[in-house]
Amino acid sequence: MALPGQATADCPSFKLVLVGDGGTGKTTFVKRHLTGEFEKKYEPTIGVEVHPLDFTTNRGKIRFYCWDTAGQEKFGGLRDGYYIHGQCAIIMFDVTSRLTYKNVPTWHRDLCRVCENIPIVLCGNKVDVKNRQVKPKQVTFHRKKNLQYHEISAKSNYNYEKPFLYLARKLVGDPNLHFVEQVALAPPEVQIDLQQQQEYEKQLQEAANMPLPDGDDDDIAE
Amino acid sequence: MADPEAVAKAFTDHYYATFDTARNNLAGLYQDQSMLTFEGQKFQGTQAILQKLTSLPFQQCKHHISSLDAQPSLSGGVLVFVTGQLLPEGETNPLKFSQTFHLAPVGGSYVVTNDLFRLNYG
Repeated sequence: MALPGQATADCPSFKLVLVGDGGTGKTTFVKRHLTGEFEKKYEPTIGVEVHPLDFTTNRGKIRFYCWDTAGQEKFGGLRDGYYIHGQCAIIMFDVTSRLTYKNVPTWHRDLCRVCENIPIVLCGNKVDVKNRQVKPKQVTFHRKKNLQYHEISAKSNYNYEKPFLYLARKLVGDPNLHFVEQVALAPPEVQIDLQQQQEYEKQLQEAANMPLPDGDDDDIAE
Repeated sequence: MADPEAVAKAFTDHYYATFDTARNNLAGLYQDQSMLTFEGQKFQGTQAILQKLTSLPFQQCKHHISSLDAQPSLSGGVLVFVTGQLLPEGETNPLKFSQTFHLAPVGGSYVVTNDLFRLNYG
């Protein structure tokens, strides 16, 4: 799903739909990948910027055509044209803003209405920020919907490759697929407290073994 | 009756200048019967409309008007149709939009009784 006039890949390529509230860091995240940033193309009629994100795996190269909005989500939901032919997706929220997590079910519903049965990664961004509002054990939506969840920090590159690795494994159908080359990323703008993050990852592991909270509402308990 | 084009021009100049810098100051342009349809979502009354407009996740914004059409309405008001581009702060690519207002005369001035807004994209 390259845009007209955009160089096409000589390798398996997939349309990746990036959604989530405005301000959660979607654009920052996609811009970290340097060659993608270099080869991106903007299509004003759809209001989308498409970044070709290449990764080298043990089975060869794979490309994600990552679709990023021009900020339409700040005004309302996105049109179907943004989702159509999506083959995989990332739903992003901001761990420093409860509202952005609260809106994840809406993004998931909108996405799944157009793209049935595609691999989806839920990403909690900005884990480098000290005062996070959405704690690891409060993130339960992915367990209800069978999504992968990763905590990331776009500004520090923390876990940058994790969502892509999960999607690549699902799309290729090889759970042992791995990346064999470091992808060129913009240098980190902030440092992450790795000890703190290990603690969060441990809490995530513990939460994964707990029973899910009752009810359909995916709100965070106040 | 006032020239509809002149009313439309004066209104939109004021409306977008206010929208772009301090959206809470738009309150005086609406009344309790006013309706806003914003990207398909409906709001009625000054309070609900302002709640929506001020909750947009950006403070500053830039509007560029490409076309402005106006007609007198049977109620003595003015129907205004705008197309243009807007750029919310933090974005690099402008978004195309269209917006329609109905202005009704009230005490020598006008209020917005109807406001319909859409982004134009595929």
